[in-house]
Amino acid sequence: MNDARPRILVLGLGNDILGDDAVGLLAARRLRTLLPDSVDVVESPGGGLDLLDLLEGYDRAVLIDAIMTGKNPPGTILEFSDADFKKDDAPSPHYAGLPTVIQLAESLGIHFPSQFRVVAVEVENPYEVLEGLSRSAKAALPAVIERAKGLVHAWLSDPLVR
Amino acid sequence: MQTRTITIDPITRLEGHGKIDIFLDAKGEVERAYFQVPELRGFETFSIGRPAEDMPQITSRICGVCPTAHHMAGTKALDDLYKIEAPPTGRKIRELVYNTFMLEDHALHVYILGGPDFIVGPDAPKALRNVVGVIQKVGVDVGKKVISMRRRLRDLISYFGGKVIHPVLGLPGGVSKGLNPDDLSSFKQLAEDGVEFAQFTLQVFKDIVLKNPEYVKLITSDTYTHKTYYMGLVDENNRVNFYDGKIRVVDPSGKEYAKFPVQKYLDYVGEHVEPWSYVKFCYLKPLGWKGFIDGPESSIYSVAPLARLNAADGMATPEAQKACEEYFSTLGGKPVHFTLANHWARVIEMLQAAERIRELINDPEITGKHIRTIPTATPSVGIGVVEAPRGTLFHHYETDEKGLIRKANLIVATQGNSARMAMGVEKSAKGLIHQGKADDGILNMIEMAFRAYDPCHGCATHSLPGEMPLLVSIRDASGQVVQELRR
Repeated sequence: MNDARPRILVLGLGNDILGDDAVGLLAARRLRTLLPDSVDVVESPGGGLDLLDLLEGYDRAVLIDAIMTGKNPPGTILEFSDADFKKDDAPSPHYAGLPTVIQLAESLGIHFPSQFRVVAVEVENPYEVLEGLSRSAKAALPAVIERAKGLVHAWLSDPLVR
Repeated sequence: MQTRTITIDPITRLEGHGKIDIFLDAKGEVERAYFQVPELRGFETFSIGRPAEDMPQITSRICGVCPTAHHMAGTKALDDLYKIEAPPTGRKIRELVYNTFMLEDHALHVYILGGPDFIVGPDAPKALRNVVGVIQKVGVDVGKKVISMRRRLRDLISYFGGKVIHPVLGLPGGVSKGLNPDDLSSFKQLAEDGVEFAQFTLQVFKDIVLKNPEYVKLITSDTYTHKTYYMGLVDENNRVNFYDGKIRVVDPSGKEYAKFPVQKYLDYVGEHVEPWSYVKFCYLKPLGWKGFIDGPESSIYSVAPLARLNAADGMATPEAQKACEEYFSTLGGKPVHFTLANHWARVIEMLQAAERIRELINDPEITGKHIRTIPTATPSVGIGVVEAPRGTLFHHYETDEKGLIRKANLIVATQGNSARMAMGVEKSAKGLIHQGKADDGILNMIEMAFRAYDPCHGCATHSLPGEMPLLVSIRDASGQVVQELRR
């Protein structure tokens, strides 16, 4: 780390037997071959406090995941920053998701990414046990990969400021 | 259904979103309240034609919250399928891993998920009812201790099972990896620290919760009380066992109603369907479905920590037994019907899990080499049951003679509590909402009615980036939405 380049994680999240929920995993798998070796690319079915283990030690992180807002057509790509997770009224206090984990890391002084981006794909059906993406999720995949790649490259050319 | 079109806050996502619909009468009092969670579909279709040996892996992949429970129930179903038992070392390794999982998962609930209700307090400002509030209350050092203990426990699970989330430990007739004697000392230290950690947690609970008369009043209040049947696995001495045993059911007066081998579960467990919910509601089949009622006429049973302690004659380890005696004497004897006592019972179970880990890791057989018996029987039907952190978990597979799945049925733990949770939500809504008025504090008090069970919604709870969303719609007598609360 003496060159002050940020440690970057690309984290694909999802479940590979819940249909479109696998979209984050598949994007990460592809990104592994497209990004420089200095960037860690991880696929994980984890959630909750698993994120604490996965994100610890990194300076920047892109999370790729499926989302269901019901407000956008399936296949729509959404992007969130860490600021979106710090809104006072957003987190339910009782489920350990990303906001909780960020708070926890801050409270305990754990080295955590100072910048997050979440690239999410609006999906239709993540509640059915099946393998393979729907047409809309599959069609969104290349653009998701490009979006995540763009974020990583911007960070790579940006000196680390903490 | 008009309420089907709900909008979810953009930073919430896949994990089951809870939905409560509250219907008011003309005076603004609660007439009915419905608690819904989405259900996972397609599991059986997905399983058919696959080798039974894949089931412990497939089922553990369904859920990112309790993979070890599904993995172990699936593994035990394979034992039953091939009519084979693991050799003593194999069985002890399974039990070691399983108790480690119970300790870790329960600790997570006590400090992170349920903690805000009790460690911080149900009436604390909303901004503090979260993990930050918990840490402020117990101190940063304790927070670090919890995280460190969780990691070490997960390291043990990984040592045997590979990935924590997708364990590959269990095989029909045994396990895939033994314990190298060279690695024993670090696990022995972990076992000692685990017991110390569980005792410490019990003390935290006593200091913060039990010494506060307001909390005790809340726990024992009628709003959070339901007199139902209780179910749990017990060993040959009728003590709580998470990994194995017979299923015991006690009635609302605490008397044994039934005790049966897991293979007989279909004689006892019925599943009732309601038009307003995807979730099937478990009840005791011999009694018939009698509706959402408690008391002597009820046919509803409950699972999870409160139920396990009620269904057993005691705990299987000495320190946990002491804690259990104190629990029953403080709460007015057996059975305890207070839903919020689940939190206390959970801490007592942490202690049993930790003590059992210590017993197993100090057992000379734990480093044995014979960890698996190779199955030879022709498969047909296999049923495996464990006590998941959230209650009794059933896996039932039927195969052809080659061991390919023809039928698969799971009854997940949260389902065992679904009827009691529905009653709890309705009762608390009726007790807390008057003249059509509800606010965030009231919503939290209603949520507490189901959060005590640590429900795992729809086994789809792998979650990011959001939180478990909850939408509460309050409708007036004409069905119009008069208020929506969302979190």
